[in-house]
Amino acid sequence: MKIYISIVLGVIGIIVGFLAQRSRMCFVAGFRDYLLVRDKELLLGLFTFLVTIWMLTSILYSMNILKKGIPEYGDIVVRSQVEIAMNGLNVKHTKLFGDGPGISSLLNNFLIISLCGGWLMGILSTFVGGCVLRQHVLFAQGNIDSFYYLIGFYCAVLVYYNFLAKFLVTLY
Amino acid sequence: MRRWYLKPWLFGIIAGCMFVFAEVIFNLYPPTAYTFCLTCHARDFINTIVNLLFKTNYQITFLARRVLMTTSLCVMAGAFIAARIFNEFRFKRSTHPILFFLTGFIIMITGIIIFGCPTRIVIRSGYGDVYGIVALTGIFIGILNGTTMLKLLSKAKFSD
Repeated sequence: MKIYISIVLGVIGIIVGFLAQRSRMCFVAGFRDYLLVRDKELLLGLFTFLVTIWMLTSILYSMNILKKGIPEYGDIVVRSQVEIAMNGLNVKHTKLFGDGPGISSLLNNFLIISLCGGWLMGILSTFVGGCVLRQHVLFAQGNIDSFYYLIGFYCAVLVYYNFLAKFLVTLY
Repeated sequence: MRRWYLKPWLFGIIAGCMFVFAEVIFNLYPPTAYTFCLTCHARDFINTIVNLLFKTNYQITFLARRVLMTTSLCVMAGAFIAARIFNEFRFKRSTHPILFFLTGFIIMITGIIIFGCPTRIVIRSGYGDVYGIVALTGIFIGILNGTTMLKLLSKAKFSD
Protein backbone atom coordinates (compact mmCIF):
# COMPACT_ATOMS: atom_id res chain seq x y z
CA MET A 1 0.00 0.00 0.00
CA LYS A 2 1.60 3.24 -1.14
CA ILE A 3 0.28 6.00 1.04
CA TYR A 4 1.57 9.00 -0.90
CA ILE A 5 -0.35 7.98 -4.03
CA SER A 6 -3.50 7.67 -1.94
CA ILE A 7 -2.88 11.18 -0.65
CA VAL A 8 -2.32 12.43 -4.20
CA LEU A 9 -5.65 10.94 -5.29
CA GLY A 10 -7.33 12.52 -2.28
CA VAL A 11 -5.85 15.94 -3.05
CA ILE A 12 -7.01 15.64 -6.68
CA GLY A 13 -10.47 14.77 -5.38
CA ILE A 14 -10.56 17.77 -3.05
CA ILE A 15 -9.42 20.18 -5.78
CA VAL A 16 -11.90 18.79 -8.29
CA GLY A 17 -14.74 18.94 -5.75
CA PHE A 18 -13.86 22.53 -4.85
CA LEU A 19 -13.66 23.67 -8.48
CA ALA A 20 -16.76 21.74 -9.50
CA GLN A 21 -18.75 23.37 -6.72
CA ARG A 22 -17.57 26.80 -7.86
CA SER A 23 -18.20 26.27 -11.55
CA ARG A 24 -21.41 24.15 -11.34
CA MET A 25 -19.71 21.79 -13.74
CA CYS A 26 -21.75 18.86 -14.96
CA PHE A 27 -21.03 16.58 -17.85
CA VAL A 28 -24.68 15.88 -18.61
CA ALA A 29 -26.25 19.26 -17.95
CA GLY A 30 -24.11 20.92 -20.64
CA PHE A 31 -25.82 19.24 -23.55
CA ARG A 32 -29.18 19.26 -21.76
CA ASP A 33 -29.05 23.02 -21.18
CA TYR A 34 -28.09 23.55 -24.79
CA LEU A 35 -31.11 21.55 -25.97
CA LEU A 36 -33.57 23.12 -23.53
CA VAL A 37 -32.55 26.78 -23.24
CA ARG A 38 -29.61 27.14 -25.69
CA ASP A 39 -27.15 27.88 -22.89
CA LYS A 40 -23.67 27.04 -24.16
CA GLU A 41 -21.55 27.66 -21.07
CA LEU A 42 -21.48 24.16 -19.54
CA LEU A 43 -21.22 22.53 -22.97
CA LEU A 44 -18.14 24.67 -23.56
CA GLY A 45 -16.75 23.32 -20.27
CA LEU A 46 -17.26 19.74 -21.44
CA PHE A 47 -15.59 20.36 -24.77
CA THR A 48 -12.61 22.22 -23.31
CA PHE A 49 -12.14 19.30 -20.91
CA LEU A 50 -12.26 16.82 -23.79
CA VAL A 51 -9.99 18.87 -26.06
CA THR A 52 -7.44 19.56 -23.30
CA ILE A 53 -7.07 15.87 -22.56
CA TRP A 54 -7.03 15.01 -26.24
CA MET A 55 -4.26 17.50 -27.06
CA LEU A 56 -2.15 16.66 -24.00
CA THR A 57 -2.37 12.93 -24.58
CA SER A 58 -1.56 13.32 -28.28
CA ILE A 59 1.56 15.31 -27.38
CA LEU A 60 2.61 12.88 -24.64
CA TYR A 61 1.96 9.83 -26.83
CA SER A 62 4.18 11.26 -29.52
CA MET A 63 6.92 12.01 -26.96
CA ASN A 64 6.66 8.43 -25.64
CA ILE A 65 6.06 9.65 -22.08
CA LEU A 66 2.55 8.27 -21.86
CA LYS A 67 2.44 4.63 -22.82
CA LYS A 68 -0.18 3.53 -25.28
CA GLY A 69 -1.52 0.02 -25.38
CA ILE A 70 -1.97 -0.53 -21.68
CA PRO A 71 -5.45 -1.88 -20.95
CA GLU A 72 -7.83 0.93 -20.18
CA TYR A 73 -10.56 -0.91 -18.33
CA GLY A 74 -10.98 -3.16 -15.34
CA ASP A 75 -9.97 -6.76 -14.99
CA ILE A 76 -12.39 -8.41 -17.39
CA VAL A 77 -11.31 -6.77 -20.60
CA VAL A 78 -7.75 -6.61 -19.34
CA ARG A 79 -7.49 -10.38 -19.53
CA SER A 80 -8.48 -10.58 -23.18
CA GLN A 81 -6.24 -7.63 -24.02
CA VAL A 82 -3.22 -9.24 -22.37
CA GLU A 83 -3.84 -12.39 -24.38
CA ILE A 84 -4.05 -10.36 -27.57
CA ALA A 85 -0.87 -8.46 -26.69
CA MET A 86 0.98 -11.72 -26.05
CA ASN A 87 -0.11 -13.04 -29.42
CA GLY A 88 1.33 -9.92 -31.01
CA LEU A 89 -1.97 -8.53 -32.25
CA ASN A 90 -2.96 -5.35 -30.47
CA VAL A 91 -6.50 -5.23 -31.77
CA LYS A 92 -8.00 -2.76 -29.33
CA HIS A 93 -5.60 0.08 -30.16
CA THR A 94 -5.33 -0.09 -33.92
CA LYS A 95 -6.16 2.83 -36.13
CA LEU A 96 -9.52 2.96 -37.81
CA PHE A 97 -7.91 3.82 -41.12
CA GLY A 98 -4.57 2.75 -42.46
CA ASP A 99 -2.78 -0.43 -41.53
CA GLY A 100 -4.21 -2.74 -38.90
CA PRO A 101 -7.16 -5.08 -38.64
CA GLY A 102 -9.65 -2.28 -39.25
CA ILE A 103 -13.16 -1.52 -38.14
CA SER A 104 -14.49 -5.07 -38.14
CA SER A 105 -12.23 -6.05 -35.21
CA LEU A 106 -13.78 -3.32 -33.10
CA LEU A 107 -17.29 -4.66 -33.51
CA ASN A 108 -17.81 -6.84 -30.47
CA ASN A 109 -20.16 -7.11 -27.54
CA PHE A 110 -18.41 -4.41 -25.55
CA LEU A 111 -19.09 -1.81 -28.27
CA ILE A 112 -22.82 -2.48 -28.09
CA ILE A 113 -22.73 -2.54 -24.28
CA SER A 114 -20.90 0.81 -24.26
CA LEU A 115 -23.49 2.39 -26.53
CA CYS A 116 -26.50 1.03 -24.61
CA GLY A 117 -24.95 1.74 -21.20
CA GLY A 118 -24.10 5.28 -22.22
CA TRP A 119 -27.63 5.77 -23.48
CA LEU A 120 -29.13 4.52 -20.20
CA MET A 121 -26.74 6.68 -18.19
CA GLY A 122 -27.57 9.76 -20.25
CA ILE A 123 -31.33 9.35 -20.05
CA LEU A 124 -31.35 8.67 -16.29
CA SER A 125 -28.90 11.46 -15.53
CA THR A 126 -31.13 13.87 -17.41
CA PHE A 127 -34.08 12.93 -15.21
CA VAL A 128 -32.23 13.40 -11.92
CA GLY A 129 -30.65 16.58 -13.25
CA GLY A 130 -26.94 15.93 -13.10
CA CYS A 131 -24.13 13.53 -13.70
CA VAL A 132 -22.42 11.57 -10.93
CA LEU A 133 -19.93 14.35 -10.13
CA ARG A 134 -22.73 16.89 -9.84
CA GLN A 135 -24.69 14.63 -7.49
CA HIS A 136 -21.68 14.36 -5.17
CA VAL A 137 -21.33 18.15 -5.19
CA LEU A 138 -25.07 18.66 -4.59
CA PHE A 139 -24.95 16.30 -1.63
CA ALA A 140 -22.10 18.29 -0.16
CA GLN A 141 -24.25 21.42 -0.56
CA GLY A 142 -27.02 19.84 1.49
CA ASN A 143 -29.37 18.41 -1.12
CA ILE A 144 -31.20 15.44 0.44
CA ASP A 145 -32.32 14.04 -2.92
CA SER A 146 -28.68 13.52 -3.82
CA PHE A 147 -28.19 11.84 -0.46
CA TYR A 148 -30.68 9.15 -1.45
CA TYR A 149 -29.05 8.95 -4.86
CA LEU A 150 -25.67 8.31 -3.26
CA ILE A 151 -27.07 5.68 -0.88
CA GLY A 152 -28.41 3.79 -3.89
CA PHE A 153 -25.11 4.41 -5.65
CA TYR A 154 -23.01 2.77 -2.94
CA CYS A 155 -25.50 -0.02 -2.14
CA ALA A 156 -25.35 -1.05 -5.79
CA VAL A 157 -21.68 -2.06 -5.44
CA LEU A 158 -22.45 -4.62 -2.76
CA VAL A 159 -25.58 -5.88 -4.51
CA TYR A 160 -23.79 -6.14 -7.85
CA TYR A 161 -20.86 -8.19 -6.57
CA ASN A 162 -23.01 -10.39 -4.35
CA PHE A 163 -25.87 -11.22 -6.68
CA LEU A 164 -25.69 -9.73 -10.16
CA ALA A 165 -22.07 -10.22 -11.23
CA LYS A 166 -22.53 -13.86 -12.17
CA PHE A 167 -25.20 -13.01 -14.74
CA LEU A 168 -23.91 -9.70 -16.02
CA VAL A 169 -20.31 -10.79 -16.61
CA THR A 170 -21.59 -13.07 -19.38
CA LEU A 171 -22.52 -9.93 -21.34
CA TYR A 172 -18.92 -9.23 -22.31
CA MET B 1 -17.08 36.87 1.54
CA ARG B 2 -17.33 38.07 -2.01
CA ARG B 3 -18.81 35.59 -4.48
CA TRP B 4 -16.26 33.99 -6.73
CA TYR B 5 -17.35 31.88 -9.66
CA LEU B 6 -15.21 29.78 -11.93
CA LYS B 7 -16.02 29.62 -15.61
CA PRO B 8 -16.70 26.03 -16.74
CA TRP B 9 -14.14 26.21 -19.54
CA LEU B 10 -11.46 27.08 -16.97
CA PHE B 11 -12.56 24.06 -14.94
CA GLY B 12 -12.13 21.96 -18.09
CA ILE B 13 -8.58 23.17 -18.69
CA ILE B 14 -7.46 22.88 -15.05
CA ALA B 15 -9.01 19.46 -14.45
CA GLY B 16 -7.85 18.08 -17.79
CA CYS B 17 -4.23 19.13 -17.22
CA MET B 18 -4.37 17.80 -13.66
CA PHE B 19 -5.65 14.37 -14.63
CA VAL B 20 -3.19 13.80 -17.45
CA PHE B 21 -0.12 15.09 -15.61
CA ALA B 22 -1.01 13.23 -12.41
CA GLU B 23 -1.03 9.99 -14.35
CA VAL B 24 2.33 10.76 -15.96
CA ILE B 25 4.07 12.01 -12.82
CA PHE B 26 2.79 9.50 -10.26
CA ASN B 27 2.51 6.45 -12.57
CA LEU B 28 -1.19 5.96 -11.91
CA TYR B 29 -1.62 2.92 -14.14
CA PRO B 30 -2.74 0.26 -15.10
CA PRO B 31 -5.50 0.82 -16.14
CA THR B 32 -4.80 4.05 -17.99
CA ALA B 33 -7.12 7.05 -17.81
CA TYR B 34 -7.84 6.13 -14.21
CA THR B 35 -6.89 9.25 -12.25
CA PHE B 36 -10.51 10.23 -11.80
CA CYS B 37 -13.62 8.09 -11.87
CA LEU B 38 -16.38 8.16 -9.33
CA THR B 39 -17.97 4.77 -10.01
CA CYS B 40 -14.73 2.83 -10.43
CA HIS B 41 -12.97 4.44 -7.48
CA ALA B 42 -15.99 3.99 -5.22
CA ARG B 43 -16.19 0.38 -6.38
CA ASP B 44 -12.50 -0.15 -5.57
CA PHE B 45 -12.80 1.56 -2.19
CA ILE B 46 -15.81 -0.47 -1.08
CA ASN B 47 -14.45 -3.74 -2.46
CA THR B 48 -11.08 -3.22 -0.77
CA ILE B 49 -12.80 -2.76 2.58
CA VAL B 50 -15.12 -5.73 2.03
CA ASN B 51 -12.21 -7.92 0.95
CA LEU B 52 -10.29 -6.96 4.09
CA LEU B 53 -13.24 -7.53 6.41
CA PHE B 54 -14.82 -10.69 5.02
CA LYS B 55 -11.87 -12.29 3.16
CA THR B 56 -13.81 -12.24 -0.10
CA ASN B 57 -12.30 -11.89 -3.56
CA TYR B 58 -14.29 -9.15 -5.24
CA GLN B 59 -12.96 -7.44 -8.34
CA ILE B 60 -10.55 -4.54 -7.86
CA THR B 61 -8.24 -3.03 -10.44
CA PHE B 62 -4.46 -3.37 -10.44
CA LEU B 63 -3.98 0.17 -9.19
CA ALA B 64 -6.29 -0.40 -6.22
CA ARG B 65 -4.09 -3.21 -4.96
CA ARG B 66 -1.45 -0.70 -3.93
CA VAL B 67 -3.52 2.46 -3.44
CA LEU B 68 -6.55 3.25 -1.32
CA MET B 69 -9.06 5.03 -3.57
CA THR B 70 -10.47 7.90 -1.54
CA THR B 71 -11.53 10.07 -4.47
CA SER B 72 -15.29 10.04 -3.99
CA LEU B 73 -15.08 10.96 -0.31
CA CYS B 74 -12.58 13.71 -1.07
CA VAL B 75 -14.78 15.17 -3.82
CA MET B 76 -17.56 15.49 -1.26
CA ALA B 77 -15.12 17.02 1.23
CA GLY B 78 -13.85 19.56 -1.30
CA ALA B 79 -17.33 20.55 -2.38
CA PHE B 80 -18.36 20.86 1.27
CA ILE B 81 -15.40 23.15 1.99
CA ALA B 82 -16.29 25.31 -1.01
CA ALA B 83 -19.95 25.45 -0.03
CA ARG B 84 -19.05 26.44 3.53
CA ILE B 85 -16.52 29.11 2.54
CA PHE B 86 -18.89 30.78 0.08
CA ASN B 87 -22.06 30.34 2.18
CA GLU B 88 -23.91 28.08 -0.20
CA PHE B 89 -24.61 25.26 2.21
CA ARG B 90 -28.33 24.90 2.84
CA PHE B 91 -30.56 21.91 3.30
CA LYS B 92 -33.04 21.17 0.56
CA ARG B 93 -35.92 18.87 1.32
CA SER B 94 -36.24 15.62 -0.59
CA THR B 95 -38.97 15.27 -3.21
CA HIS B 96 -38.66 11.76 -4.64
CA PRO B 97 -36.45 9.62 -2.38
CA ILE B 98 -37.22 6.23 -3.92
CA LEU B 99 -36.84 7.49 -7.48
CA PHE B 100 -33.43 8.95 -6.69
CA PHE B 101 -32.37 5.80 -4.86
CA LEU B 102 -33.27 3.60 -7.83
CA THR B 103 -31.59 5.94 -10.30
CA GLY B 104 -28.36 5.91 -8.34
CA PHE B 105 -28.57 2.14 -8.11
CA ILE B 106 -29.00 1.64 -11.86
CA ILE B 107 -26.35 4.22 -12.76
CA MET B 108 -23.78 2.53 -10.52
CA ILE B 109 -24.43 -0.87 -12.09
CA THR B 110 -24.25 0.60 -15.60
CA GLY B 111 -21.07 2.40 -14.64
CA ILE B 112 -19.46 -0.79 -13.37
CA ILE B 113 -20.37 -2.58 -16.59
CA ILE B 114 -19.10 0.07 -19.01
CA PHE B 115 -16.14 1.05 -16.78
CA GLY B 116 -16.75 4.66 -16.01
CA CYS B 117 -18.89 7.47 -14.79
CA PRO B 118 -19.60 10.24 -17.37
CA THR B 119 -16.39 11.99 -16.29
CA ARG B 120 -14.21 9.00 -17.00
CA ILE B 121 -15.98 8.34 -20.27
CA VAL B 122 -15.00 11.83 -21.40
CA ILE B 123 -11.44 11.23 -20.18
CA ARG B 124 -11.29 7.93 -22.04
CA SER B 125 -12.54 9.48 -25.25
CA GLY B 126 -9.85 12.11 -24.86
CA TYR B 127 -7.28 9.34 -24.57
CA GLY B 128 -8.41 8.04 -27.94
CA ASP B 129 -10.28 4.99 -26.72
CA VAL B 130 -12.86 3.91 -29.29
CA TYR B 131 -15.22 2.46 -26.70
CA GLY B 132 -15.10 5.70 -24.75
CA ILE B 133 -16.12 7.67 -27.82
CA VAL B 134 -18.95 5.20 -28.46
CA ALA B 135 -20.16 5.53 -24.86
CA LEU B 136 -20.00 9.34 -25.12
CA THR B 137 -22.14 9.14 -28.26
CA GLY B 138 -24.54 6.96 -26.30
CA ILE B 139 -24.71 9.55 -23.53
CA PHE B 140 -25.48 12.30 -26.05
CA ILE B 141 -28.26 10.22 -27.61
CA GLY B 142 -29.62 9.49 -24.13
CA ILE B 143 -29.66 13.18 -23.22
CA LEU B 144 -31.41 13.94 -26.50
CA ASN B 145 -34.13 11.39 -25.72
CA GLY B 146 -34.33 12.48 -22.09
CA THR B 147 -34.86 16.15 -22.91
CA THR B 148 -37.52 15.23 -25.47
CA MET B 149 -39.33 13.22 -22.80
CA LEU B 150 -39.01 16.08 -20.31
CA LYS B 151 -40.52 18.46 -22.84
CA LEU B 152 -43.41 16.06 -23.50
CA LEU B 153 -44.00 15.57 -19.77
CA SER B 154 -44.09 19.30 -19.07
CA LYS B 155 -46.43 19.83 -22.03
CA ALA B 156 -48.80 17.16 -20.69
CA LYS B 157 -48.67 18.72 -17.23
CA PHE B 158 -49.53 22.20 -18.47
CA SER B 159 -52.33 21.08 -20.77
CA ASP B 160 -54.30 19.49 -17.89
